[in-house]
Amino acid sequence: MDKFGKAQPVKRVEDVRFLTGQGRYSDDIAPENALYGYFLRSQVAHADITTLDTSDAAEMDGVVAIFTADDLNKAGVTGDCSGAAVTNRDGTKGAKPRRPTLAEGRVRFVGETIALIVATNLNAARDAAEMIEVDFDERPVHLGQKPGGTAIHDEAPNNQAFDWGLGDEAATNAAFDAAAHTVSLEVEDNRVIATSMEARAVWAEPVEGRLHVNISGQGVWNPKSAIAKYLNMSKDDVRVTNPDVGGGFGMKAMTYPEDLAIAFAARTLGQPVRWFAERGESMMSDNAGRDLVSLAEFAFDADHKITAYRLKTHCNLGAYNSGFAQFIQTELFSKVLTGTYDVPAGYMNVVGTYTNTTPVDAYRGAGRPEAIYVLERLIDHAARELGVDPWDLRRKNFIRPDAFPYTTVTEQPYDVGEFAKVLARVEAECDKAGFPARKAEAAKRGKLLGQGLCYYIESILGAPDETTRVVFENGGAKLFVGTQSNGQGHETVFASFLSDHTGIPMERIELVQGDSDAIPSGGGTGGSRSVTVQNTATLANVDKMIEGFTAFLAELEGASATDISFDDERFRIPGSNLTPTMLEVADLAREHGRDDLLDVSATIKLDNRSFPNGAHVAEVEIDPETGVTEVVRYTVTDDFGNLINPMLVEGQIHGGVAQGIGQAITEHVVFDEDGQLLTASFMDYGLPRADNMPMIDFTTEGTPSLYNPMGMKGCGEAGTVGALAAVSNATLDALSEVGVTRVDMPFTPLRVWEMIQNAKADAAA
Amino acid sequence: MYNFEFSKPSTVADAVAALASEDAQALGGGQTLLPTMKQRLAQPETLVSLTGIDELKGVCQGDNGAVVVGGATTHATVAADAAALYPALAALASHIGDPQVRNRGTIGGSLANNDPAACYPAAALGSGATITTNKRDIAADDYFQGMFTTALEEGEIITSVSFPVPEAANYQKFVQPASRFAMVGIFVAKYSDGVRVAVTGASEDGVYRWSEAEAALSSNFSASALSDLSVSSDGMITDLHATAAYRAHLVKVMTGRAVAAAS
Ligand SMILES: Cc1cc2nc3c(=O)[nH]c(=O)nc-3n(C[C@H](O)[C@H](O)[C@H](O)COP(=O)(O)OP(=O)(O)OC[C@H]3O[C@@H](n4cnc5c(N)ncnc54)[C@H](O)[C@@H]3O)c2cc1C
Repeated sequence: MDKFGKAQPVKRVEDVRFLTGQGRYSDDIAPENALYGYFLRSQVAHADITTLDTSDAAEMDGVVAIFTADDLNKAGVTGDCSGAAVTNRDGTKGAKPRRPTLAEGRVRFVGETIALIVATNLNAARDAAEMIEVDFDERPVHLGQKPGGTAIHDEAPNNQAFDWGLGDEAATNAAFDAAAHTVSLEVEDNRVIATSMEARAVWAEPVEGRLHVNISGQGVWNPKSAIAKYLNMSKDDVRVTNPDVGGGFGMKAMTYPEDLAIAFAARTLGQPVRWFAERGESMMSDNAGRDLVSLAEFAFDADHKITAYRLKTHCNLGAYNSGFAQFIQTELFSKVLTGTYDVPAGYMNVVGTYTNTTPVDAYRGAGRPEAIYVLERLIDHAARELGVDPWDLRRKNFIRPDAFPYTTVTEQPYDVGEFAKVLARVEAECDKAGFPARKAEAAKRGKLLGQGLCYYIESILGAPDETTRVVFENGGAKLFVGTQSNGQGHETVFASFLSDHTGIPMERIELVQGDSDAIPSGGGTGGSRSVTVQNTATLANVDKMIEGFTAFLAELEGASATDISFDDERFRIPGSNLTPTMLEVADLAREHGRDDLLDVSATIKLDNRSFPNGAHVAEVEIDPETGVTEVVRYTVTDDFGNLINPMLVEGQIHGGVAQGIGQAITEHVVFDEDGQLLTASFMDYGLPRADNMPMIDFTTEGTPSLYNPMGMKGCGEAGTVGALAAVSNATLDALSEVGVTRVDMPFTPLRVWEMIQNAKADAAA
Repeated sequence: MYNFEFSKPSTVADAVAALASEDAQALGGGQTLLPTMKQRLAQPETLVSLTGIDELKGVCQGDNGAVVVGGATTHATVAADAAALYPALAALASHIGDPQVRNRGTIGGSLANNDPAACYPAAALGSGATITTNKRDIAADDYFQGMFTTALEEGEIITSVSFPVPEAANYQKFVQPASRFAMVGIFVAKYSDGVRVAVTGASEDGVYRWSEAEAALSSNFSASALSDLSVSSDGMITDLHATAAYRAHLVKVMTGRAVAAAS
C-alpha cells in the first residue's frame, strides 16, 4: 500500500448531516437557559459619544443587564483586542491603537459595538437597545486606501498605520535604471465582505468555576488565550469549543469584541449568554477582505527577461488593527511576490491606512491572491506593451525545473515546480487553439469574447506544527485533531487517511475537533494548512502506534520485534497464527493492562510548507450594449503534488473559483462619503450565484512537494488565488477590442458599460 | 419585529372588516412586509392575512377573453396557470425572485406595494389591466401614482386583476445584479388598437409608459422603429447599480429586445 499520497475520492461522510438539517451550529446548541445578548452599534462612522444613558433601558421588562465600557472598567477588565503590528522600514513598530471591546467615548466605524444588552429574550434586548440614549458629536471621516485626513487614532496622526518594506531596494532601482524596457500598472483590488453562510455566533456558560465559550470559529486555542487574558483568568479555567461551522474563510479566525463581551457578560452574570449575528450586523462588523491599490513595475532586458520587480501598495486596514491585519498585505503578500518567475531583484513597499470603515483582515488566500493578482495583471500588461504573446512571456520568465531548489527575492524556498508543463497541459485542456473560432462565433451574436490566463503560485501558511491523538475505546478509535473544519470535509479526509494507514474501518473512527479540553493544542484552519500538517502528524502517530503494538506483540508472542510487520491492515508475526488487526491488538493490550498503548499522541512540525501552483484560463463574454459580463468557460490545471482525496480537492477549487469570480464580477462593497455602508444587505451586495458560475474543467499535473512525507500541496485557497487575474485578464482581452485599456474589478454591468462609453468618448476626442 | 395581532379571515367581507381597526394591515405573501417588520421599519398592530380567502386565489379567463388573476394568487400559480392563456405574463411571474418568493408572494401584494423595481406593475400597465378592489375597478393608467404610491385607499383590498390578452407580448428584465429585481424592466404588448410599452425599475416616478416608443411601434412593430428615439436621463433613478444615463440607455436597448422577442 502506498503510504505517500493515496488518492481516493471518498465521499464526504458529513454531508448527509449538513444537507438534512442535522448540522449543529453554535446557535443551535446554546444552553436552553441562556440569556440573549444584543449589541447597540454605532450608526455613524466617526464621532465622540457625548451621551450614553442606559438607565431607562435597564428598567425595561426582560432586561437583565446592560454593559458599557464603564462597566468593563469598573470590573477591572481593561484589555482590548487590537491585533499585532508589523515593523516599519525605519525599524519602529507600526501603530497599535487600542481597540476597545465596547466603545470608549468614541466610535470609528458604522457597526462598532457600543453597549451589550442582556435580556431574557431577543425582542426585549432589541427594545432596550432602542431606549438607550446615545448622542454623537460627529468628526470628519477618512476613507480610501491612502493616508491623510483627520486622525482616527492619536497613534497615527496621518492615519498611516505602518510603512513596511522588503527586498533589495538599491539593486532593484539599479536594474530599473539599466533596463531595456520598463512597464508599470496601477491595479485596484476591491473590498469584499466574507459573508459566510453561517454568520458569526458565540455563547458562553460558567461551569463549576470555569468558563465554557462556544464560538463559530476557525480554532479554539487562540480565542482561549485571548479570553483568559481578557478576563484575567487562568487558561486552565477557560474551555473553548467550535461546533459545526458554516464557513470561515479567514474572517472567523480572529477574536472579535463580541466574543470578549459575551464571555465577560456570562462570567459577570453567572449565567449563560448567547449571541448570533444578524446578516446585516455581519456585513457591517465581520472583517472585510482585500481593499488595496498597487503600483507594480517590471524591468526587462532586451530579450524580455525580467530583471526586476518593484511594487508600491496602499492597503486599507479599516478603523482598527484586527488580529492579523497588518501582516496580510505585507508578509503574507510577500510570500509569492514574484510568483513563478525568475526575478533577480525585487522590492516591495506597503503602506497601511486607517479609515472609518469595518476592519479588514484575512480573506481566503490572505495576501497571496492579492500578490498574484497584481503580478499576473502586470505580466499581461507587459506583453501588450512589448507586443508579445502573454503566454510566451510567462514561459520565457518561468523559473526552470532545473533551477530548483530556488530561493526567491523574498527568501521563499521553492522546492519543486514544473510550470511550463502545467501550462502546456492547460493550453490543451482549455482548447486554446479553438479560441479564435469561439470568438468569431460570439461576435456573430454581437458579443465580445476574451480569454485570460493566470499562472499562480501559492504558499501554504498557518501554524507549521500539529498534533494527532488517537484513543482506542469502545471497539474503535477516537481521532483527536488540532485543525478545525469549517465545512471542508475534515471528518472524511482525516478519518479515511487514518483508516488507510491502520486498517481501522472508517465507520469505527470518530473525529474529535474543536475542544480545548480534549486536545491540548492545535493550529485550527487557515492558510490551506489543515491536511498537510494534520496528516503528517497522523503518519507520525501511526508509526508510534505500530511501534508500541509491535513491541507489545513481540513480548506477548516471544518473537523479535524486528520480525513483526504491519501491512496497513494486519500485524504479521513469524511462526504465529496470530494476524491481528490494529483494533484487535488494542483489545489485547487492554486485556493485558497496557492502557498506555491505547492513548497515543504525536506532534510534528514542518520546516517548510508547500507551494501549490497552477494555471487558470477564463473566457469571458461581454454584451457591449449592456456591459453584462459572464464567465462562460473556465479551465484549471493545478499542481497539488500528490492528491489525498481528489474529489474534495476539486470541491475546494470550485469554491475558491466561485469566490474569485464573485470578487471579479459581482461583489462590490460601497461606503458613502460619510462612511455609511451602502451594501449592507443582499439587496445591494452581489454574492455570486450558481448561474454566475461556468462549469469548471479541472485537471492536475502534480509534482510532489519535497517538504512533507505525502508529497502533497495545500489546495484550500488556490482557486481564489488563480481566479481574479484570469477573469480580469479575460475581461480586458475582450474589451480591448472596443478600445478599453484599463479595467479594475468588479466588472458589474454599470462599470463595464461605463468603461466602454469612456473608451468610445476617448476615441472620438 | 414588534409584536402584533394576527387574523386570517376566510371572506373578503371579514377581511375588510378586520382592516377597519386601527393600524391594521393586509398581509399577502409577506415577502415585502415581513422583512420590513423584521427590520422594525413597520409596526402594524394587526396583520390581516388574505391567504385564507379562496375567492382571491386562482387564474381564469373572463367572458371578454381577459385573463383574471385573483388578488392573493401567488407568482408560482400565475407562472403555471397563465402559461397557456398569457405566456408573457406567466414568464414574467416565473422570474420574480426565487422559488420561495414565488410560492409566497402575491400579485395583490406586489401591485399594492408598487415597488419601483417590481415586475408586475410593468405587466399591469403594459397590458392596460384593470385592478379590481373590494370597492371599485381601477384602470392601470390611473392606478400607479409614483414610487410606492397607488390609487388604493386605506384598507382597500385588491381582489383581482384583469389582463386583456395581446396579440404579442414580451417582458425583458434587466436584473439588478445583487437583488435581481428589475433594474430596468420593459413590458411590450401589441394589441389590435396599438402597442403599449411599460417601463419599470428606471424612473423616480415608478412604472410609466414610454409613449414615443408606443407611437413608433404602433406603426411599425419592429426593433428598428426605435432607432431614432432617444431616452432622456432626466428623472431616471441613480443608485449603486446604475446611473440615470445607464438606465436611460437600457430602457431603449431592452425595449428593442422585447419587441424582437415578442410572441
Ligand atoms: C428575495 C426576494 C426577491 C424578490 N424579487 C422580486 C422580483 O424580481 N420582482 C418583483 O417584482 N418582486 C420581487 N420580490 C417582491 C415579491 O414579488 C413580493 O412578493 C411582492 O412585492 C409583495 O407581495 P406579497 O404578497 O408578499 O405582499 P406582502 O409583503 O404581504 O405585502 C406587501 C404590501 O401589500 C399589501 N397587500 C398585500 N396584499 C394585498 C392585497 N391583495 N390588496 C391590497 N394590499 C395588499 C400589504 O398590506 C403590504 O403593504 C422579491 C422579494 C424577495 C423577498
